[in-house]
Amino acid sequence: MSKIKMEKSSRISESEDSGTRCPSTKNPANKELMDRRMFFQGAAGVLATMMVGSCSWQEFFQNNFRRMTKEELEQTVQRLKAEYRQKYGKDFVVGTEGPIDATLFGYALDLQRCIGCRRCVYACVEENNQSRDPQIQYIRVLRFKDGEMDLEHSTIYYDPEEVPEKGYYYMPVQCQHCANPPCTKVCPVQATWTEPDGIVVVDYNWCIGCRYCMAACPYMGRWFNFAEPVIPADKVNVNTHYLGNRPRMRNVVEKCTFCIQRVRKGRYPACVEVCPVGARKFGNLLDPESEISKIIQTKRVFRLKSELNTQPKFYYFFSI
Amino acid sequence: MTNRTVTCLTAFVISVCFAGSLLSGSGLTWAQSQISSEDFKAPPKHPTDQEFPVPLKPLSKTITPCRACHGPEKDFPTNFKRREDLLVHTNIKLNHGGVRLWCLDCHNPENRNYLLPLSDGKPIDFEHSYLLCGKCHGTKYRDWRYGIHGKRTGFWNGTKNYYLCVSCHDPHSPRFKPLAPKPPPKKPWTPKEPQVKR
Amino acid sequence: MGGFFVGAAQRIIKGTTLYYVWVVFLLVMIAMGIGAYVKQMQLGLIVTGMTSYVSWGFYIGNFTFLVGVAAAAVLLIIPAYLYDFGPIKDIVIIGEALAVSALLMCLMFVTADLGRPDRAWHLIPGLGILNLPRSMLGWDIVVLNGYLFLNLFIPGYILYKAYNEKPANMRFILPFILLSIPWAVSIHTTTAFIYNGLAARPFWNASILAPRFLASAFCSGPALIILIFQLVRHYTKFHVKNEALFKIAEMIAIAMAINLFLLGAEFFKELYSDTHHLSPLEYLYVGLQGKGRLVPWIWTAFTFNVIAFVIFLIPHTRKNFVTLNIGCVLIIIGIWIEKGMGLIIPGFIPATLGEVWEYAPTPIEIMVSIGIWSIGALTLTIILKVLIPIELGEFTRAKRATT
Repeated sequence: MSKIKMEKSSRISESEDSGTRCPSTKNPANKELMDRRMFFQGAAGVLATMMVGSCSWQEFFQNNFRRMTKEELEQTVQRLKAEYRQKYGKDFVVGTEGPIDATLFGYALDLQRCIGCRRCVYACVEENNQSRDPQIQYIRVLRFKDGEMDLEHSTIYYDPEEVPEKGYYYMPVQCQHCANPPCTKVCPVQATWTEPDGIVVVDYNWCIGCRYCMAACPYMGRWFNFAEPVIPADKVNVNTHYLGNRPRMRNVVEKCTFCIQRVRKGRYPACVEVCPVGARKFGNLLDPESEISKIIQTKRVFRLKSELNTQPKFYYFFSI
Repeated sequence: MTNRTVTCLTAFVISVCFAGSLLSGSGLTWAQSQISSEDFKAPPKHPTDQEFPVPLKPLSKTITPCRACHGPEKDFPTNFKRREDLLVHTNIKLNHGGVRLWCLDCHNPENRNYLLPLSDGKPIDFEHSYLLCGKCHGTKYRDWRYGIHGKRTGFWNGTKNYYLCVSCHDPHSPRFKPLAPKPPPKKPWTPKEPQVKR
Repeated sequence: MGGFFVGAAQRIIKGTTLYYVWVVFLLVMIAMGIGAYVKQMQLGLIVTGMTSYVSWGFYIGNFTFLVGVAAAAVLLIIPAYLYDFGPIKDIVIIGEALAVSALLMCLMFVTADLGRPDRAWHLIPGLGILNLPRSMLGWDIVVLNGYLFLNLFIPGYILYKAYNEKPANMRFILPFILLSIPWAVSIHTTTAFIYNGLAARPFWNASILAPRFLASAFCSGPALIILIFQLVRHYTKFHVKNEALFKIAEMIAIAMAINLFLLGAEFFKELYSDTHHLSPLEYLYVGLQGKGRLVPWIWTAFTFNVIAFVIFLIPHTRKNFVTLNIGCVLIIIGIWIEKGMGLIIPGFIPATLGEVWEYAPTPIEIMVSIGIWSIGALTLTIILKVLIPIELGEFTRAKRATT
């Protein structure tokens, strides 16, 4: 048992040792006693877990983001800030900015340019407070052999001295922010939805952790916090948004939000700004002069798995 | 064959002269003081100038006063032919456009503090080099103006910082240099299992 | 009514040594399961074998299998109430008891799989938000709870009448019984639709999935019922006619024939068209990219199913209790593999971006699952302990004093 978990996360194996109370001990006469003791331990444990897991009654009864009144939201934000200060020793900004009018966000990625350097992956992790252990990375950079785009023959684990490598090309994949998203459709509690500006978001405090959305997503755009997320306090990004990069809790789903905390303030997403080759483009699809609109107008674009009719707002193109 | 030898020889002689003049006390300190004010007047206006809020990154002082050496006072012979054996500018490895391009296909032979002019005849200063780049790389230039090619940071709905062509591409060797990738993701936990033959 | 509970409690407490051993064994298993579940709650789902690649596993596999078992009660209801087939009518109530415990296990398996069971109240319409009509999981929760209600209400009513020694008012209860037939179909269909509707997972995104679900459900559930009836007949005075068991076995043979036919159809479609949609099936049956943890399991299931089919098809072996029971065990194991891990895991392999990462349940998952199965078995035991005396007329309002 512990062997398996050691491989998964060293952090867990530490707490593992204290808890090996298996009923299959040598003495069968003890069984019933053991059994009863274990039951009480178990029951107490469940209660304790409920308490620890949900911290406070306010958190337990916290409403869905979209149903909160202004006052409720303000209270919640204050509580979250206090919670984060306690955890990371820093003052957080937990924004609740709404969508900007007449905005529909779109993203484009130039496959001709991408060199597969994974700068975007790590910029995203830092910006969006993803768990370092267990590792969560919203962006997967797929490497294909020249001449094919067969996902089954791709890899994300390439590790050469230098990129780009001869004979290969690269295709980063993240949440595609579909206009017809299968993930929000399947959520049994509407913990995830599409915002008016086209960003697919998750209310981390409403998610019940059923992972149906992960099964439904054709792009592996969703990640589950299988354990308590670990972010070094000195690396944590304190400029957050309620629906974006605020620190998450274990056993909930999270995903790329186009850096909602940045783009709702007019800034580019972190991955766009870090890309050394300028392969990543972002803008307002409703503005015919925006970069993204210009790409759609002047370049031939495609969307990943368009046959599934998910209608991503994430376009791939080849500039020459 | 003979032609080429002659060219090489000429080039060699010129280079030696050039190097000699540099070594013979006419250092850069002196040269800088000789720069006339007319060399650094307001950059020539181009009709497309105001379209982009381009960062005007001045080139470092040690580079820009090209006229210190290539000025009218010095009067080096201007050589339009490609040579491989320059004794100066050895830090520049020209790897742009194969053998068909030479320094003076971009640098203004009339005034080395500027680049060649466009059809309007007005020389382009280094800060607006993208105008010259666009002369050959028209489609790239168009894409760059739209924000398709190249990189921008800042605000998607506001002030953008444009990266110039030369911010990413060394104009003398424009091919993008390879990078060391960041580490690959950790592999997920997988059960130990017997391998199945196919 | 209070008297009923006292009487029932007395009946539950008293029993043979074998009964005590059985109950204690189950309690030990349950305690182990709870212990494992507490660990899972404390550390998160990282203690399971699930990853971002294979995000559902053993729990959902067991859930799927048990929905089938629960749905199978309909196979008893149809001959009993619609065709008035006497031998089965006598025993249908036990089938419904099985459905109840199977449903309880289903709900527990889903809860065990939930990352945040403390937020389960988000599912309650009004208090929370149940995403209807869009989410199939939402529908599944509705139909499972509805079916649970029907299977508690119908036998509850009949038993209540029997307890009071009054005849059941069939005109009152028959509409509920009739309703439970399509409802049983709906629980399994909706569960199939949970997977079926995901275009991202070609292995599930085949219209044959729901029919196959039903066909296999009508194999495994009744097989379990046959075994339980024999146990009940052996340990209590409750009479189960052989005819009833043979009739059920006959129905299993038909269901298995359909199941194997649909499997063949699935095989043909995938193999002949030979697209990327073949990959999950390839992973399941021969292994993919050198990985094939499930290969021995699925061939075991396939072999078991075929052998069981032959056993149930030949009247001679179907009516011989040794072969019949072997057939039942084979079919239960076969379908458990096929409709459990064999259905859920290949849906995730290869992953939607093409990678092949395998899954195996960890000891914690297995312990939690054993715990849930034990709770189910204990529930069934306790229900039967009360139900059978009522059915036999031993435990009524008048006779409850004499235990």
